[in-house]
Amino acid sequence: MPARVVPINPSAHRLINKQLKARLPITPPPNAMKLPCVITLSAMATLLSLPAADDPQPSAEGLKFFESKIRPVLAQNCYKCHSADEKIKGGLNLDSRAGIRHGGDSGPAITPGDLGSSLLWTAINWGDKDYEMPPKKKLPASIIADFRTWIEMGAPDPRVAEKIVVKTEIDIDEGKKFWSFQKPLKAQPPVVSNQGWPASAVDHFVLAKLEANDLKPAADAQPGTLLRRLYFDLAGIPPSTGDIERYAEAWKSDPAGAYRSEVDHLLSSKHFGERWGRHWLDVARYAESTGKEVNMSFPHAWRYRDYVIDSFNKDKPYDEFIREQIAGDLLPIKSDADWQENLIATGFLAIGPKGLNERSPRQFALDLADEQIDTTTQAILGLTVSCARCHDHKFDPIPTADYYSLAGIFLSTKTYFGTVNAIQNRRGTKLLELPVPDSNPISSVSTREISILKQRISDSEKRFNDLQVVAAQDRLAGRSSNAGQQLQRLRSTTSQMNARLKGFDENGVAKSFAMGVQDQSVPVEPTVLVRGELERPAQKVARGFPQVLCNEPVKLPANSSGRLELAGWLASRDNPLTARVMVNRVWGHLFANSLVTSQNNFGTSGQAPSHPELLDYLAVNFMEGGWSLKSLVRELVLTRSYRMSADFNRTAFEKDPDNSLQWRHSPKKIDAEALRDAMLFASGNLDITRPLGSEIAVGGDIRVGGPRSPRGATSRDRATNYRSVYLPAARDNLPAALALFDPADPNLVTGKREQTNVPDQALYLMNNPFVLQQAEAMAKRLLSEADTPREQFSKAFLLCYGRPANKEEVEASLAFLQRFQITAGADSRNRNEIRSLAFATFCQSLLISAEFRYLN
Amino acid sequence: MFTRRDLLKSASSGVGYLAFAALAHEQALGETKAAAGPLSPKQPHFKPRAKRVIFLSMRGAPSHVDTFDYKPQLAKDDGKPGRFGRGGKLLGSPWEFKQRGKSGLWISELLPEIASHADELCLLKGMHTDLPNHPQAQTIMHTGNAQFVRPSIGAWTLYGLGTDNADLPGFVALGAPPGSANHFGSSFLPAIYQGARFGSNARPGGNNRFSRREQKPQIPNIANPKLDRDLQRVQLDFVQNLNKAKLAREEHAPGVEGVIESLELGFRMQDTLPELMDTAGESSETLELYGIGSGGNDAFGKQCLLARRFAEAGVRFVELSHGNWDHHRNMATDLPARCDEIDRPIAGLLTDLKRRDMLKDTLVVWAGEFGRTPHGQGGDGRDHNNKGYTTWMAGGGVKGGFQYGASDEYGYQAVDGRMHIHDWHATILHLLGLNHEELTYRHAGRDFRLTDVHGNVAKEILS
Repeated sequence: MPARVVPINPSAHRLINKQLKARLPITPPPNAMKLPCVITLSAMATLLSLPAADDPQPSAEGLKFFESKIRPVLAQNCYKCHSADEKIKGGLNLDSRAGIRHGGDSGPAITPGDLGSSLLWTAINWGDKDYEMPPKKKLPASIIADFRTWIEMGAPDPRVAEKIVVKTEIDIDEGKKFWSFQKPLKAQPPVVSNQGWPASAVDHFVLAKLEANDLKPAADAQPGTLLRRLYFDLAGIPPSTGDIERYAEAWKSDPAGAYRSEVDHLLSSKHFGERWGRHWLDVARYAESTGKEVNMSFPHAWRYRDYVIDSFNKDKPYDEFIREQIAGDLLPIKSDADWQENLIATGFLAIGPKGLNERSPRQFALDLADEQIDTTTQAILGLTVSCARCHDHKFDPIPTADYYSLAGIFLSTKTYFGTVNAIQNRRGTKLLELPVPDSNPISSVSTREISILKQRISDSEKRFNDLQVVAAQDRLAGRSSNAGQQLQRLRSTTSQMNARLKGFDENGVAKSFAMGVQDQSVPVEPTVLVRGELERPAQKVARGFPQVLCNEPVKLPANSSGRLELAGWLASRDNPLTARVMVNRVWGHLFANSLVTSQNNFGTSGQAPSHPELLDYLAVNFMEGGWSLKSLVRELVLTRSYRMSADFNRTAFEKDPDNSLQWRHSPKKIDAEALRDAMLFASGNLDITRPLGSEIAVGGDIRVGGPRSPRGATSRDRATNYRSVYLPAARDNLPAALALFDPADPNLVTGKREQTNVPDQALYLMNNPFVLQQAEAMAKRLLSEADTPREQFSKAFLLCYGRPANKEEVEASLAFLQRFQITAGADSRNRNEIRSLAFATFCQSLLISAEFRYLN
Repeated sequence: MFTRRDLLKSASSGVGYLAFAALAHEQALGETKAAAGPLSPKQPHFKPRAKRVIFLSMRGAPSHVDTFDYKPQLAKDDGKPGRFGRGGKLLGSPWEFKQRGKSGLWISELLPEIASHADELCLLKGMHTDLPNHPQAQTIMHTGNAQFVRPSIGAWTLYGLGTDNADLPGFVALGAPPGSANHFGSSFLPAIYQGARFGSNARPGGNNRFSRREQKPQIPNIANPKLDRDLQRVQLDFVQNLNKAKLAREEHAPGVEGVIESLELGFRMQDTLPELMDTAGESSETLELYGIGSGGNDAFGKQCLLARRFAEAGVRFVELSHGNWDHHRNMATDLPARCDEIDRPIAGLLTDLKRRDMLKDTLVVWAGEFGRTPHGQGGDGRDHNNKGYTTWMAGGGVKGGFQYGASDEYGYQAVDGRMHIHDWHATILHLLGLNHEELTYRHAGRDFRLTDVHGNVAKEILS
């Protein structure tokens, strides 16, 4: 690691982690402003872990002390709110040895031998305004002194509850027999009778299935249809008229060569990454805000988006891509630039939806780990492991204990997702400061502004301290006052100012941050929780991976999270699922039907593959070929199977209405992004440069949809002409141009998008200003690029449908223009105006028609 | 190619018919019914008791033992170890139940206004479903099948009965959360039968258009800034001309059909929808009845009022979604808050339907995807329970002030009058005059039903 790189703020490597931890006292001193990171750090470091030297068999003397001095006080003063038989307020259960050590939402109630780390001690001393216990009357000094003695002697406590062990009835060995849990084997392409048809091994598999079902493949697609299909599938935009002409010309002499050269052209275009990166962003539930109740923006999430797009364009091997996203922070590096990229990649684990108003830091940590498990296992393994959080998996051989083994890895990981500590956001964290400053969409500020900001922060901190005194006086005197509320507001604005200040260096230049993860300094030994309840810990388990996918038990290092090993295991050729799941996704995007239709569920409740041998053939080939996605896509689009026409065949339809046997190319509806991009393309307005960052980045830390949400940051309809993948992506607030057309819901891992045809889409297409603007621009463009109406129509059809207009269509277009002008009452005065409206309306008609929105 | 006259003629009744005719033999309902267009009213199999449905979907699964299933034994044994599964301690309902109305149905204090309609309610207390997971149970509740994508009950209803107002979608979903398209989908049924979704319930009190203060909900894209209706019709004729040519070329293209029909419907909705969604004409007394303008979160009140307006306008199936019923934790505060959000709106809906003489042929259905456990979770919450729970119906041919079925003494398991989702579906279709065994659609070489090979009509609840 290059020595000169010293990340200041967010502890981008372990050395700094230690320093950071050393700087932060575990229990904040009274009157200190509590930053969220303090709470989170202390809570996560101690989460579910107990001190090693805590003797469960106390001495007789210790016991006597407990029974005479401590237990009666607990029973009389505490159990009413903190015992299993009454209430468990704040998650704190004081009626057992485990409960008092495990502690509540804020951390362990006592740490034997360590008064400073024992929240109970702080609480009974009324040392922290938020924890004054018992709340009504402070305990007498003599009793408080007894507690000191007791904690210092190691808190002897005989109240050992019966040890709970969550058992499983799952037979792992039996479970391993399921097809998807066994490694794929490469089958020989089957023999077919129509030997002239296949152009590749893949075609053999497809044709063999068809022949076995007495079906025939459809004829080859028309060259123009095929080109349009290929452009949308690989680049997400249609071919230009120039592309179409070039290809048609080349086709005359060498059809195969013409097609191949278009394939290579598209694979090397930057649009490939924008298209296929978006597919991965669906899977990675990419968004630029937390969603849920508070919905705070993620102003730095866009770096992950760009990382994904660039990775696809570079044809980064898929195994490497996975390793970077799961454990980029831990991978060996050659340069700062590598390190930068790897840190950004771990944003995969940080960009998920989050319930920021969760009161309990422990619950939040568990929910965060659960979300990471859910996304990681569905996205990469096609398994729903998080179903095993509360009970054994209902369908798959994944015991609850396996879930907690995996959870241990994520609980040993710190997630940096940012968000400022505004009112209702209780769970914000820091961010990772990047080693190499990159281009930043946030403008620099003057040094004067920096010093003003500093002054304001210091004023506000002073005011905070003064107010605390007032608040305390008011309380003692029994006066009602709003000092408490004022404090809360002040804390919130101060933390917002602090967050802003931290965004700039001393010269006022905006710093570069990423969302991502780092290992905890001490790994967590995970505890199984009965029905997922924090208050009901059962046995400890070792960190590990789902057993059903492991040949032998995995052994993880004691001094790190195990995330590096997890990443290696996920991206390994020994993993039976990773390659299969990805080739299936790729197949699904190209052929509409996936081989396994439940893309995110390869478990026993998922669907069996339509072509199991083909799936395995592709998976093994994919791994053997170095996990190259571009090679895989290339292989598939060159097959004859992909090049079939979409022609309907009633006999085949009756046998196989879903076309799962691939007797034709399934017609595909173009998705939300492609629809918007294609309209911009047709109008000539598409701006193919990548915008710097995102509108959300410019808007900064805000609450999405909140009263102070500045216009533009999450604007749904702002006129922007860049590609849709770069539009702001706040959860529950997607841009209107996408929201109606079944975009991926970033609250979920999405493999295959939904497809609806509903009237509110029709209303958008008929009436939305965006569509009207594109139609007008397209009309202007055509009028300038062609002279006669016939030429203009022909060009319009070519632009929109990838084919020239036929005779009837030209006639119908002419008739439309005429009828429109008559209906509009065109006369000599308004003729030109109405004529241009008519022509724009003609263009809009093509943009909203079925042929524009479907691929054959 | 089609003449202009053909186009205009077909435009008024939905235009999927051509493609339909090509597949007429696939339609179990027969050619005579298809001939009138896919949305026009169709004869039910027998005399219906209800003409339309308003389905109040409570997402997240409300606790039955704290609302409609009174369990005195559970209260008595509060704190004792649960006997069921690996459950924790039993948790008696912290809320008081009282007998209501002439019928004396027991209903919790959490829903005082709905309770005042006890004599209209038909409580189904023996409900059970297959899986205790939200996504699957929601899907089963809507489509009868969690494993495959299947048409939703709203789509089946519309397919079976058509709609009385061809200028509005026949199946409307208000406040549907994102990612739930399958719950309103038409699957292999023609696309025109899928639910049209208005408003989003992504976040309670959030930026959904029903939560705004104005009485007039804004409907995006409802008017064209440049073209009047005549010019727009000229445009649409041209578009449909292109679309139908494509459909004719391709013989079978449900997607293209969906585009054609949704454009026509969208066109007509430009006139019908603003009128329907403008509640300015409603009296302040009516708004108050639904709890609208009472301050706080009156979003659901607005949905209920719109549901009545849609029902009145002839929409066949209206579904409302209300979320955040998944009370694993913080039940003591969150469950009363949710109940408070729905109590007045639903009571207002029942009152309003009744006084307009619509309740007799409008079936109101209230249901979560499952119930919750009698044992507590973390002291202040309950876990998922698919083995026994309660839903209710009102109006449309069901006995009022009636309860059917029962769970055991703790509310854990349905023991009497057991009603699986298939039975529940069969009963709803029956009330609409549809025989669930005859309402079929041929797909992939076989006839499909909402109830698959299951389903028994609960005749006991018919009035």
